[in-house]
Amino acid sequence: MKLPLTRRDLPLLLVAPGVAWLIFFFVLPLLELLRQSWSQPTSRFGLTTTLSPNPDNYMDAFSLAAPLFARSVGIAALATLVGLVVGFPLAWWIVRRGGRWKPLLTGLVVVPFFFSYLVRTIAWTTLLADSGPLMQMVRVLSLGHLLNNLGLLQDGRLLNTTTALVAGLTYNYLPFLILPIIASLGTIDPTLLEAAADLGAHSPRIFLKVVFPLALPGLISGGLLTFIPAMGDVVNSQYLGGVNDRMIGNIIADLVLIQQRFTTAAAISMLLLLLITFFLLMYMRRYGKTGLGAS
Amino acid sequence: MKRLTRRRDVLRFLITTGGTAAMAPVLSACQPNKGKQNSVPLIISNWPLFIDTDQPGVAGSVRRFEQATGIDVIYREDLNDPDSFFSRIRLPLAMGQPVEQDILIVPNWLASRLIRLNWLEPLPWAQIGNASNLEDSLKKPLWDPKGLYSLPWMVGITGIAYNIKSTGRELNSVDDLFAKELHGRVSFLSMWRDTLGLLMLADGKNITAPTYKDTIPALQRLEQAKTSGQIRSFTGNDYQKDLLVGNLAACVAWAGDVAQLMGENPDLRFVVPKTGGVLTADVMVIPRKADGKREAAQWMNYVYDPINAARIDAATHFISPVKGVKKVFAASSSTAKLIEDPLMFPDKTMANRLHMLGPFSDQDEIAVERQFSKLIAS
Repeated sequence: MKLPLTRRDLPLLLVAPGVAWLIFFFVLPLLELLRQSWSQPTSRFGLTTTLSPNPDNYMDAFSLAAPLFARSVGIAALATLVGLVVGFPLAWWIVRRGGRWKPLLTGLVVVPFFFSYLVRTIAWTTLLADSGPLMQMVRVLSLGHLLNNLGLLQDGRLLNTTTALVAGLTYNYLPFLILPIIASLGTIDPTLLEAAADLGAHSPRIFLKVVFPLALPGLISGGLLTFIPAMGDVVNSQYLGGVNDRMIGNIIADLVLIQQRFTTAAAISMLLLLLITFFLLMYMRRYGKTGLGAS
Repeated sequence: MKRLTRRRDVLRFLITTGGTAAMAPVLSACQPNKGKQNSVPLIISNWPLFIDTDQPGVAGSVRRFEQATGIDVIYREDLNDPDSFFSRIRLPLAMGQPVEQDILIVPNWLASRLIRLNWLEPLPWAQIGNASNLEDSLKKPLWDPKGLYSLPWMVGITGIAYNIKSTGRELNSVDDLFAKELHGRVSFLSMWRDTLGLLMLADGKNITAPTYKDTIPALQRLEQAKTSGQIRSFTGNDYQKDLLVGNLAACVAWAGDVAQLMGENPDLRFVVPKTGGVLTADVMVIPRKADGKREAAQWMNYVYDPINAARIDAATHFISPVKGVKKVFAASSSTAKLIEDPLMFPDKTMANRLHMLGPFSDQDEIAVERQFSKLIAS
């Protein structure tokens, strides 16, 4: 029996599983989130909700989360920046000096992902504890006073501080940042660097005029892959941050896990989605689609 | 307050009472329907540090129960914060489906909520003969007025734990938690009933009939302390690790936990503040449609035997709800001293300082919960 399919149907068949996946696991949950954000629960602990035209959830969301949005953007941006400062030289070294070890070194970057995200973060609480190895080193080197004055320590401690939170976020998302940069730097033709040098450019100028523009797509991809999940992170703030470092993810988790206020949590999630979309649109307006997979 | 007992005394007690308990498998073998082949594994969820565990050469209560009844037990110490725990069981129970566990050991207020939602099975009292050993004062309690759905596991005291080396002095009041010299080294429980209960007592409020208004001064005080950096963290049961490793100098804690932690760090202390401590009861309940109702009844019957209850209590240092535990302790020289511990057997003076947080109206409970959550999550 011949199937009623033509050659033109083949691409449709090939994309169908992906489209179905997106519909079931992205579009429908997103629509449900939107519906929840415009609903009110029928009872305190029940599961049913009814649609409501009043914006109560969004008012609640805004009053609860407005300061946290600003804080989350700041902390995520700082973690991304620190990640770029740490990650770029490492990526450069792997690409330029890795030689035949490059695949292995690239693999080592993702080794932390072999362990649970939660376990890695909780392990950090031991490393950063007041009596942990890092603080012991700070005491041996008599750096406590200096670091306190620089605001890197709070009350002479590292754990449960903004510093620990930013460091934890940077650490946990660093592979997401380094891999696109490695990919980007790998495409730079070394003869371009030689040509720039032959034309009299010094190393900093070569970096600024040749390397940086060519690596920009990777930097942007990596930056976005770090910034976006860091914005909604819960775990690092919970275990490494202080009581005044709570982020937007924490209030969502609290509303869902503690207060059972799914509809308000849905409204905050929608606002977070809008905020990130806004950042992306701003970026695309300024730089086009560079770094968004369409370099 | 210096505790009267050390772990080796408890261990000695566990070994010496082993003779009596060792008869249990023999006795149980004579009873029908107790074979492994006829029963399902019993799944229990409980707090950490809330039972005697296996020690070198001595089986803990779970293992002894398994040996005595032939019932396999999956014992989980997965209750860190009851609110989070509730959110885990809420979905299936609200959908009319069973949860994995056959027994939940939860705070009394959560049991009360589960009863109101009709998400619990009435206990099979006919199969729990030893329930007659329940202390009279805990029969038909406020959280379970008909006395149908719950059996107390332990009664705890919320007070202040501190590390004398870190504080450099004894603490005796809630105000000490706000002292300048402890800046950034203090934690409070993320369970608002315990934290606010303690602070409300310090504010001179009557916590047996609380209102939202009563909590406002305590909430304001916490807010100021949080903003100023006085408070290092709000924790669930996981404050224990921070207290042990020295990240905290003082915290709101439960008496029994601290008594156990003192075995690992003798510098730890627990005190009921002079303004009073909060009594909390944790109770055993069977969730709706649980598979192992019969096995759950056997467990409850087992732990309500005064000897078995004494073994658990000697290890956990909470207030046992089982009559006869005191007598069992008195019979052994290694545990006789426990009777003098007012945190396990509160005398009149101590009892007068302990208060159980009464129920809020629904509206007030929501208001307090929202304010407290806003405080700790933002």
